[in-house]
Amino acid sequence: MFRLTPIRAAIAALVLAALAGWASFGGYLAREMVAEIAVLAILALALDLVAGFGGMVSLAHGAIMGVGAYGYALANQAGLPPWPAALVGMAAATLTGTAIGAVSARLTGVFFLMATLAFGQMIWALTFRADALGGDNGLGGIARPPLPFLDSGDPLVFALYALVLAAGCLAVCVAVLRSRFGQRFEAVHDNPDRAAALGIAPERIRAQGFAISSMIAGAAGVLAAQHMQFVSPELMVWTASGEVLVVLILGGIGSLSGAVIGAAGFVLLKYWAADWTDHWHLAIGALLIVVVLAGERGLSGLLEGRRDA
Amino acid sequence: MLNTLQQAALLLLISSGLSVSMGLMGFANLAHGALYMLGAYIGIAVAAKAGFWAALLAAPLAVGLLGAALYLGLLARLRGPMQQVLASFGLVFIAVEVVRILWGDVALTLDRPALLSGSAAVLGVDYPIYRLFVILLGLVVGAGLWMGVHRSTLGAMLRASVENRGMARAIGIRTEALFLATFALGAALAGLGGAVAAPLYSANPGMAISALIPALIVTVIGGMGSITGAILGALIVAGIEVFGAALWPDASAVLIYAALAATLIWRPQGLLAVKARR
Repeated sequence: MFRLTPIRAAIAALVLAALAGWASFGGYLAREMVAEIAVLAILALALDLVAGFGGMVSLAHGAIMGVGAYGYALANQAGLPPWPAALVGMAAATLTGTAIGAVSARLTGVFFLMATLAFGQMIWALTFRADALGGDNGLGGIARPPLPFLDSGDPLVFALYALVLAAGCLAVCVAVLRSRFGQRFEAVHDNPDRAAALGIAPERIRAQGFAISSMIAGAAGVLAAQHMQFVSPELMVWTASGEVLVVLILGGIGSLSGAVIGAAGFVLLKYWAADWTDHWHLAIGALLIVVVLAGERGLSGLLEGRRDA
Repeated sequence: MLNTLQQAALLLLISSGLSVSMGLMGFANLAHGALYMLGAYIGIAVAAKAGFWAALLAAPLAVGLLGAALYLGLLARLRGPMQQVLASFGLVFIAVEVVRILWGDVALTLDRPALLSGSAAVLGVDYPIYRLFVILLGLVVGAGLWMGVHRSTLGAMLRASVENRGMARAIGIRTEALFLATFALGAALAGLGGAVAAPLYSANPGMAISALIPALIVTVIGGMGSITGAILGALIVAGIEVFGAALWPDASAVLIYAALAATLIWRPQGLLAVKARR
């Protein structure tokens, strides 16, 4: 069962606080990177919810996030103000996730993975081909949300806004896992037969969990669209989903704090390594294998020590 | 029609290897596309020095050995599909970067051998001989695998080991050695596919990813662990690709994934699965 141990809460809070400090005192690049970390962290949180606690490893989350981003962009272009448009984006992502979850929830393991891969790639291919969505070129000129007393065009304000959203999504994930629904969701993962015997419908619970996770992924998409002020099908390719999975594994799956620390570590490593080599994926690949062999607990597990699981 | 057959033969070469390792052994191997890519690059490198036919022999051998080394050193230690997916995903990253370091980002091509260049009239249409050769090779490999798995003692031992590893070991089958050989065979088939594909399509680092998806789709549609299924799956996917691109280009990319999704929903075990496992 999920426990927000003090050490996990401390890790997540420390990372978020350190990022806020870095954005405040760092330059333009630092602020852009912090916003990017926040987007990735929210998406990783969404994936952690289904993969870490529900055992449903999804390769569709990049595409679902993309639906959120495109939903926001289209609603915004249609004349809707940013905040209602954000709701439209999240609703679109939730609906997509509900549909995918409803169909895929009865599959498990590799078959679930393949099904989400198929649906994610369908969404990507449709977007890529659709002229109304800008096709390969994507959509640009997307507005950022107006904030009271603050200018969201300022990189610092936007970075802090993104961090607040990431913290909010973390709180939502904790609340979901602590609720009755969260207990059922994990029970279905731990032992589907026993959960079914207790009167819990495994498939329905799994589908609902996938829908909730999709809503959070949609929030990540809306934030990404606001950050880049541009959306493209790149967001949706299955390798984007695979990359989030890597982030989650490196950070530590099934801990929520791992999603945050993994996102920060991944983006920092990407920018740092890009300075001196084009081949930083080599290190990521090796690191991934080491983490998997060491037992899949990632950075977060390393910091927590070996005591509890 | 012939294009469909040729595409299917190529897909069969790639995906039969995946069907062997993923289907027969239950090993979710995302690095299969990377092995295919290595086959193409090794094939090109050998062909430059010793000619096409040597490359056709060397590429599967080298990739097969690499597969065996990977299996012994890393993959045999993994437990559960999740670890396999992740570790092999890590291998994809490494393989792509190694290829980029060794051969660069530029796409490489391989000339067709003199014997197979030119074209022949088939059913009244001029058709490149090399593509006919690919079709033939696909048929030979498919038939060979089917015979090997279903009609030989080794195949029976392998099927027994997959069915019940403990029992197979108890009656004296060396399951570990058998799995090692099977994985190496799957890798070698990927290498062969890569070398054969090199003259048709150029080799580039992106093919590790782009080749993986069709191979996975073929394996899942056809049913894991079924050679007949892999052949059927390859025909279906190639048919969708070729006819889809000609008749309804906008939707062809979607159709393949739709076929995959439909198969998973309708018959999660694949069209011709050996049995309902798990």
